[in-house]
Amino acid sequence: MGLSLDAVSKSYGAQQVLAPTTLQVADGEFMTILGPSGSGKTTILRLVGGFTRPTSGRIGFGDADITGMPAHQRPFNTVFQDYALFPHMTVAANIGYGLMVRRQTKPAIAAKVGQTAEIVGLGGLLDRFPSQLSGGQKQRVALARAIVCEPKLILLDEPLAALDAELRRQMQFFLKSLQRQIATTFLFVTHDQEEAITMSDRIVVMSAGRIEQVGTPKDIYYAPRTQFVAGFFGDNNLIPGHVTGNGMVTTALGTMPIPAETDRRERDVMLAIRPEKVLLGAAGSGSHQVSCRIDDVTFIGAITQLRLRPAAAPDQVLTVKLTSDRTRLGLESGTVVSASLAPGDIALVEVS
Amino acid sequence: MVSLPERIILFMLVAAGPFLLIVVPIGAFLAMSFFRMENQQIVHDLSLANYAAFFSSWTYVKTLLLTLWLCAEVTLIGLLIGYPIAYFIWRRSGRIRTILLLLFVLPLFMSYIVKIFTMRSILGLNGFLNQILVAVGILSEPSQVFLYNQNAILFTMAVIFLPFVILPIYLSLERIPRSLVQASADLGADIGTTFWHVILPLSAPGTIAGALFAFVLALGDFITPQMVGGANGFTFGRVIWSQFGLAYNWPFGAALGTVLLAVALLAIVLGGLAAQRQKV
Repeated sequence: MGLSLDAVSKSYGAQQVLAPTTLQVADGEFMTILGPSGSGKTTILRLVGGFTRPTSGRIGFGDADITGMPAHQRPFNTVFQDYALFPHMTVAANIGYGLMVRRQTKPAIAAKVGQTAEIVGLGGLLDRFPSQLSGGQKQRVALARAIVCEPKLILLDEPLAALDAELRRQMQFFLKSLQRQIATTFLFVTHDQEEAITMSDRIVVMSAGRIEQVGTPKDIYYAPRTQFVAGFFGDNNLIPGHVTGNGMVTTALGTMPIPAETDRRERDVMLAIRPEKVLLGAAGSGSHQVSCRIDDVTFIGAITQLRLRPAAAPDQVLTVKLTSDRTRLGLESGTVVSASLAPGDIALVEVS
Repeated sequence: MVSLPERIILFMLVAAGPFLLIVVPIGAFLAMSFFRMENQQIVHDLSLANYAAFFSSWTYVKTLLLTLWLCAEVTLIGLLIGYPIAYFIWRRSGRIRTILLLLFVLPLFMSYIVKIFTMRSILGLNGFLNQILVAVGILSEPSQVFLYNQNAILFTMAVIFLPFVILPIYLSLERIPRSLVQASADLGADIGTTFWHVILPLSAPGTIAGALFAFVLALGDFITPQMVGGANGFTFGRVIWSQFGLAYNWPFGAALGTVLLAVALLAIVLGGLAAQRQKV
């Protein structure tokens, strides 16, 4: 069930902004579409919301084909990037707009509006106009307006982009808990990786009009499948390699077994390992040991970042992040250390 | 920093232009309305006699009221035609929108007299309208009913002032973010509901401005009534004009002009209040 996109594409004239895309969103899921600007993420949102029609493909919801259904008939509501609050209406009228359109009685609207305002923390502001609200308050009005009609799916178009860092963190937690409370599917669009990782059940990573990878935040973070995904989320060590037929991969740092349950075909790949997963010193059994010289050490508060140069491949840099420790000794540039890479922490990234 | 005396001098220099061009002529006009005529001479005695003459003459007051009614009709027709056009242009996009807007605003660059003559040639006995109606067979011979009466004035004014109505309405529509229209649809409103609850209220300031333009322009217009109204189309503007021309009674004409100015100001103030009520 849920929402399904079946080979949905969108072109403007000769320019294709969304390649044929297939995607399933389960009921009650917090799904984030993540990508840089121009990646097609907002196009997906607009297609689902009904604000634009796909050039090809089918959009389904539950058992119904909603490809050609106009926006006002879809059981979805949207939180717009610029909030799109009606400037000539009070907060109460804004929140109650969807109910008013559905011809509910005034007392019923007032009761529901009051209740929803409480949920989003807007009690006492119902008589204000949007121009009298702060950014965070406008955000909450936009949210309340979207949830008041109890839609099956809520679309959120970069709703936190305009908020400052502190408020954004608060809203991230709030959105997540709200989503659990009302048990509604959220389709959330953002370009902020951290936001995507902290809030989502699953993430769709997009680039240049196509899906790069769909997976849980941990999948995306630890097991990127494409170079784009591997490079998009924070720092990553990317090491060129070649998969040989016998389940091994050869790199400049030596030959090591490929991670379990990966494709064993012979080909060029990239190995990706997170800086915090590179261990120094004595390693567990099965780990691949690499002798390196420390290039430099940077203390960044909670973590200390090292840049290592493997003795076998001086052109390759390995970034390592350690939990900072005041008493740790011997980590100075020039020191030779042994770095260990555990097979379970290495991701095979396809080279396209 | 500019010192205070310097600022005062600066302000006076800047204020001199508007003062000389606007305040002085209106002041002179106002002063004139309190004078009187005697033996073809203007006598500079101050009195309210001109105003008393106006308010005690039913003919003049009635002409003013009929003119106000005519202007209200011009405004209404202007809005009924202008709003849909502005809305239609707004809903287009890209080049088509620019071209349409240009087409409808282009008449503003044309001479007023040329436009009136065009309307005359359309409405006249051998005019375009008659030719079409005769050709189609609705009329058996050209009719005179289209020109030289009150309806001809109404129709001509409505057409000539249309760009003044369309432009401010279009500009206020233009200022409505598309996302508001989408948000309304998103919340379940069809286009009619969206229009009624979002678009119309948000374009009210421009609509009021357009209505004011049409009303005030029609109020002061004496050329259109003269050119297409004939003997039957007598408006307050023509009465004032005749006081300055034919009758050579400038003080009385000035008093009538002051009454007209007061009415126009009242209309503008009322329109401004109405626009302010819209919280935009």
